[in-house]
Amino acid sequence: METVLSINRLSKRYGKIQAVKELSIEVKKGQVFGILGPNGSGKTTTLSIILDLLKADDGEFKWFGEIPTKECRKRIGSVIESPNFFPYLTPVQNLKIVADIKDMDYGDIERVLTLTGLFERRNSKFKTYSFGMKQRLAIASALLGSPEVLILDEPTNGLDPQGIAQIRELILQVAAQGITIIIASHLLDEVQKICSHVAVLDKGKRLFSGEVKDVLAISDSFELSSSDMTGLEKAILQHPMYRSSEKNGNLLQVYFKGEINPGELNEFLHKNGILLNHLAERKRSLEQHFLELLQNNT
Amino acid sequence: MNKLLHIEFKKILTYKTFWILFGLYFVFLPIGILLAEFMINNMVDNINKHTPIPLPHVAIYYFPDVWQNFAFFASIRYVLIFPAIVIIILITNEFTFKTIRQNIINGMSKAEFLRSKLQIILLMALFVSLILTISAFIVGLFHSGTSDITFFSKGIPFMFGFFVSLFSFLIYAFFFGFMLRNTGLAIGLFTLYTLIIEPIISGLLRSPLLFKNTIYNFLPITSAIRVTEYPAVPVLKKVMGLELQSGISLISLGVPLLYSALMIGIVFWVMSKKDL
Repeated sequence: METVLSINRLSKRYGKIQAVKELSIEVKKGQVFGILGPNGSGKTTTLSIILDLLKADDGEFKWFGEIPTKECRKRIGSVIESPNFFPYLTPVQNLKIVADIKDMDYGDIERVLTLTGLFERRNSKFKTYSFGMKQRLAIASALLGSPEVLILDEPTNGLDPQGIAQIRELILQVAAQGITIIIASHLLDEVQKICSHVAVLDKGKRLFSGEVKDVLAISDSFELSSSDMTGLEKAILQHPMYRSSEKNGNLLQVYFKGEINPGELNEFLHKNGILLNHLAERKRSLEQHFLELLQNNT
Repeated sequence: MNKLLHIEFKKILTYKTFWILFGLYFVFLPIGILLAEFMINNMVDNINKHTPIPLPHVAIYYFPDVWQNFAFFASIRYVLIFPAIVIIILITNEFTFKTIRQNIINGMSKAEFLRSKLQIILLMALFVSLILTISAFIVGLFHSGTSDITFFSKGIPFMFGFFVSLFSFLIYAFFFGFMLRNTGLAIGLFTLYTLIIEPIISGLLRSPLLFKNTIYNFLPITSAIRVTEYPAVPVLKKVMGLELQSGISLISLGVPLLYSALMIGIVFWVMSKKDL
C-alpha cells in the first residue's frame, strides 16, 4: 500500500527536555492512524514538525514519498492545538483566506460549513463563536477541498459529550471516504473507537505501534484456583491465548492476549485434567490498561 | 492582483483597528502640514518681541517650496510613527491570533508570508506618497494661483525622498514586529527607541561638549527622517544659520535604504531558523 507519511528517527529537544526521541512512524494510505500518549509525550511537537512549524534537531520525514515542500502541505488539512483564525472575520472570510493559500476556489466553503453544522452562523464573526463552534470551524477548515490527508490534534479536547460524539461521527464519515487521517489524542477510548492503527508515545519515544486491535487489545485476567495448583500452572501454559500469570496466595492470576469466555476456559482446563474450585473474571478499565502499557515500558 | 496581496487585503478589509488608525493618520497628516505655517509664524512673532529688526512672516505653501515643506513635515518622527504602529499591529496580530502558524500549515512558505507583509508595506508607502504628492500639488496651486513648471525637477525628488523616509520607517516597524512578536512589546519598544532613545544618542553625538560630529545623521531613525533635512523657510537661514537644501542627496537616500535591506535580511534569516 502507498505510504503517505514516513517519519524516520525524528528528534527534537527544548533545552533540557527531550520532546521527541528517535521517533519513527509510517502511515499508509487509507489508515486512520492514532498517535496516543499522555500530555507532554511529544504528540503535538511531532505534528508541528511534520507541518513545518518546528525544525527537528535530527531525523527526517517524507510526505507522499517526497522531501516535503509547501505544495505537500496544500494536500493536507490540519488542526493543530487551538483553532487559529482572525477574530474579526467571519468563518466565510476566514475560509476564503485558507482557500486562497491552498490555491482553491471558494466553491467548497458552503459544503464544509454545512458538514460541521456552522452554515447558519456563517456570517457571525469568529470571536462570537463558542469554543465548540471554533473547534468545528477548525475541522471545517481542515476538510476544505477534500484533502488527501487530515491531521487532527486532540480534536475533541474541551468539547461537551454531544460535541465529542458529533466530531467522532464526522471523522468516521471522512474516514469512510478513504481519506487518510492522523489523530493525536491522550484518550485511549477515542483512539480505540476511531483508529485502525496506532503508535503509543511516552516521553517522546514510541512504545508500540501497529493495528489497534493488536496493540490495544483488552486482555482480561482470571483468578483461578484448583486443588492441583502445579497441574493448573502447567496446563494453563498450553492455552493458545496465554500471556502471563502470577501467583497470588492460593490463587493464580492469569492474563490472556485477548478476550476469553470463562466457560470455554473452564472447558479447556477440564479437558487437560484440571478441576477448578475457583474461577473469577477480572475486567480492567481502558485507563488501567493504558497505564499498564506505559508502565511496562519504563 | 497577485495572490499574496489578495490574501493580505482579505485580512485588512474588515479590520476596524486598521481603518481607524490609518484613517486618523490621513486626517492628522494634512492638518499637521497645514498648521505648520501658522506655527512658524507664531514662532517668528515671538522672536520679533526680542529683536530690534523684525523678521517677515513666512509663506511655505508656494511652488516650488511646497514640495520640500510637505516632504519635511510629513516625515517628522511624530507623524511617521503612526503608520509604523499600524504595520506593527498587522504583523504581531498574526502571532497573537496564531494565524501565521495556520497560514504555514495550510501551505504558505515562511518566505511568502514575509513577502506578503513587505508588499503591503510597499503599497502603503506608495499610496501615502501619491496622496501627499497630489495634496502638495493642490495646495501649491491654491496658494500660487498658477501651475508649477518645475514639478519634475523640484517636486519628484522631494516626494521620492518622502517615500524613502516612510518606506524605511515601515521596514523598521516590520523588523520590530517580527523580532518581538508581541504587540505591546513591539509598539512600546519601537516608540521608546524612536522618540526617546535615539534622540538622546543623537543629542550626545552632536553635543559640542562631547563629539561635535555629524555621525548622528547615520543613526537609523534620524537618517530616515532627515532625507529632507529642513523645511524651505528662508527665515530659518537667517535665524539659525542653516544651509538650505537644494535637493535630495544620494547618500541621504542610501543610508536608510541600507538599514532597511539589513533589517529585511535579518528578519528572513531569523524566521527561517526560529520555531513558530
